[in-house]
Amino acid sequence: MSSIEFILYLVINTAVVLLVAPLFMSLLKKVKAKTQGRQGPPLLQTYYMIAKLFQKEAICSPNSSWIMRVAPYMNMAAILVAALFVPLVFVPGSVGGIGNIILFLYLLTLGRFFMALGGLDAGSAFGGMGSSREMSIAAIIEPTTIIVFAALAFAFKSLNIFDMVFASAATSVLATPTLILIAISLFIILIVETGQVPVDNPETHLELTMIHEGMYLEQSGRNLALMELSSAVKFTLLMALITNLIFPIGIALTLTVAGIMIAVVLFVIKASVLTVIIGLFESSIAKTRFFQLPNLFTMAFFFSTLIIIIEVFT
Amino acid sequence: MLIPLIAGHRDRNVIRTASLSLTILASALMAVPAIAILLGGDPLAITAYAPAGLFSIGFFIDKLAAFFILIIAVVSACIALYSIEYVKHMEGESRRNLFCGCMNLFIFAMVLVVASANTIAFFLFWELMAASSFLLVMYEYDGHGTARAGIFYFVMTHLSTLFVLFGIILLWVETGSFAIASLTGAPTLMVTLAFLSLFLGFSIKGGIIPFHKWLPYAHPASPTPISALMSAVMLKIAVYGLIRFLITVFSPELWWGILILVFGTISGVLGVIYALKEHNIKAMLAYSSIENIGIIFMGIGLFVILTAVELPLLATIALIGALFHSLNHAIFKSLLFLTAGSVITATHTRNIEQMGGLIHRMPKTAGLFFVGSLGVAAIPPLNGFASELLILIAFFTSVTEVEPLVKVLLFVCLALFAMTSALTTSCFVKAFGTVFLGMPRSAQGENAHEVKALMLIGPGILAVACVFLGLFALQIIVWAGFSVPMPDMLLVGLLLILMLVLTYVALYFTSPRTIRVSDTWGCGAPSQKAGSEYTAHGFSQPLFMIFSSLYRTQITNDREFYDEPRAIFKSGTAEIRLLKVFEEYIYLPIAMQFRRLATTIARIQNGCLDTYVLYVFITVIALLVFLGWSV
Repeated sequence: MSSIEFILYLVINTAVVLLVAPLFMSLLKKVKAKTQGRQGPPLLQTYYMIAKLFQKEAICSPNSSWIMRVAPYMNMAAILVAALFVPLVFVPGSVGGIGNIILFLYLLTLGRFFMALGGLDAGSAFGGMGSSREMSIAAIIEPTTIIVFAALAFAFKSLNIFDMVFASAATSVLATPTLILIAISLFIILIVETGQVPVDNPETHLELTMIHEGMYLEQSGRNLALMELSSAVKFTLLMALITNLIFPIGIALTLTVAGIMIAVVLFVIKASVLTVIIGLFESSIAKTRFFQLPNLFTMAFFFSTLIIIIEVFT
Repeated sequence: MLIPLIAGHRDRNVIRTASLSLTILASALMAVPAIAILLGGDPLAITAYAPAGLFSIGFFIDKLAAFFILIIAVVSACIALYSIEYVKHMEGESRRNLFCGCMNLFIFAMVLVVASANTIAFFLFWELMAASSFLLVMYEYDGHGTARAGIFYFVMTHLSTLFVLFGIILLWVETGSFAIASLTGAPTLMVTLAFLSLFLGFSIKGGIIPFHKWLPYAHPASPTPISALMSAVMLKIAVYGLIRFLITVFSPELWWGILILVFGTISGVLGVIYALKEHNIKAMLAYSSIENIGIIFMGIGLFVILTAVELPLLATIALIGALFHSLNHAIFKSLLFLTAGSVITATHTRNIEQMGGLIHRMPKTAGLFFVGSLGVAAIPPLNGFASELLILIAFFTSVTEVEPLVKVLLFVCLALFAMTSALTTSCFVKAFGTVFLGMPRSAQGENAHEVKALMLIGPGILAVACVFLGLFALQIIVWAGFSVPMPDMLLVGLLLILMLVLTYVALYFTSPRTIRVSDTWGCGAPSQKAGSEYTAHGFSQPLFMIFSSLYRTQITNDREFYDEPRAIFKSGTAEIRLLKVFEEYIYLPIAMQFRRLATTIARIQNGCLDTYVLYVFITVIALLVFLGWSV
């Protein structure tokens, strides 16, 4: 029984995350455009773009090897497996340690590893620059991430995201002080991991300032579509981590069609609200100089350590 | 089982191959009983030589020893396989046979250290291991920098031996026996000193920062199979020594664990930070070994802490993590060293800035190095990740249990551990990227060719082991009779493959399947040159800047001017140099002091016969006086 339930969970979670992920990317652009007094793209723009890219052939450099051709697929697969670790609309019992928060983090690293190598493969300076910066940022944000994850494990007395969401959904007390503090830390991690302002600016097309997009500058056609889609999925996952842990309202604990429907709708609403907040946050600040980022991260680190200390000594 | 003494066969080419084949055979023979003991067989006890009373040499192989013998056996077999082909590329016809013999002696010594039942045997074979490895490091004795590496290695490794000996003597003073047996009661001052001395000895041998300096010298200087053996196996012997004495002999206190954990963490972080700056591929791998030994020490430290606060279940997880990481590191690091050796053989350079594009010229070596990189960078579902995951789980779970101050320490170490791991990923993206991807950066790189089959099979077995140990991590640990709360990596691996296939199939049916080949976009420049590629230096520049305070760069510039107010520039030099902090501030000053002392003592030996007669005379008088006193 539970294995059937689990397989259904795999299907539902993957389908939902793939379907809704592009929506938030467009919404984010729309919010930013509105604050700048522009009209912005339609909400379905990212879907159109991905659909268009799927129709185009891929172009590869003669210098490149199988790394560049495999990277989009591996990255996508890694992100999709990571997606199974964060329940979006329904929480099953965990099977075989799926949902382990450490493994989740390292699956994101798996995707990044291939993406960064893909950036170096064509021998273009821009790709290398993107890879170098992405890996550097990832390395210095890692202590903060692990501390926040440890704080989560500490607060929920479990290493498993499923258990965390379940515990959060089961308790009537929403948003304890610790959880709110953790949410703020998770927000910072979301901004850094998905390459948003002030760390990186996904809007820019000035190559020298690109980080995340620089890595797949050489990718095209369906490979580019995979890269874009995986970025969108990653963004959605990290948002889901925040919303479902802090505001788990509506998430289905048993598998019923109506429950899932409601959960999907509620998730889209919650995530949209969060997207709008992110958009407003990004519009209100400027991109930081690259070498000032460590200061920002140190702040985030001390902030999350503070949470721990509050937890530890109370 | 120790009969296949792989010892030195010193003859010609055929004999060399035969000798190395014997090594493989012996390793296989060793592995079988080792596995049997691991799976719950009875421990094996052999008394080899017991002339009188206390002084006996005996062997005792329990699960722990069997585990380390297994590590030695697997890695040695693959390295021997690789060496059959590799020795043909080595310089010095007359020495090559000696090399094989010495290598076998080295492996033999390591096995016996692990198998030793008492401290006498342990020490004896420890010294044999040190001596034989020194000869191997000095193989290319006329090579650039080998002498320096040799001296560093010789001094450090004997310092290690000295501390181990000191620890053993202290233990003997305490217990009056040379057996590796449990001490009773709370640790006395003598026992604490013995632990500190042994810890120092093992740390030097294991390359723990700040005792690491010999590693990045000795590895690049020695032939590839030796670098691989030293890094993958010899460092593990130090780990074995530490674990053996901690578990069997001592009943550790909390602060011992904290000491080990802190040293481990420092080695982990600094090891990888120094690895990032290295562009000599072997030195980079050597620093990465320091980092991994750091991680293993973190696991051991955590084990001691958790044992001291009486959380045996978590302590077991930490210890299994440390042991499993020892095995995994042995496998992926020997894989990386061997493939790096192939690359060096093909390109005749060790500088990664002169490689590039090798994935097209040496595709198989590239694939093997890639697997090793995935392993060392702790990418799931490979083996490096599986063992780091265990240590991380121990960290995550134990922070809820221990007392507040230890908790804070654990959090700090956890954060640094995470950074170590992420920096390693960056380091190996850089290594793989600059060595294998892009375009060749030099003529040597352009003319490289794939190596012969044997140099692929040896690493190939290790690469398979990397994947296997990763995917079946949980099953293997359960098989060995432990239960750990870790995710099933096999399931993760299957899910990854499933998603990969689904993505591929989905795209196969929805989008065009053609790939057009067209030049890399170069901002409109008509053709791309290797000069426009991102370099290894460039790649790690952001991290240099961020950790600049740790690297201690020294900027000097001398300028000359034509005129007095220093306005018209004549000539000048400017230099940015990375300081070798440990070497310039710690090692060399100490060495200088010793040299001064030695010079003073050397005056006694003036080479005159009458002076020596005088010494003898004084000694005789002193003896007489002393004897008169004692009677």
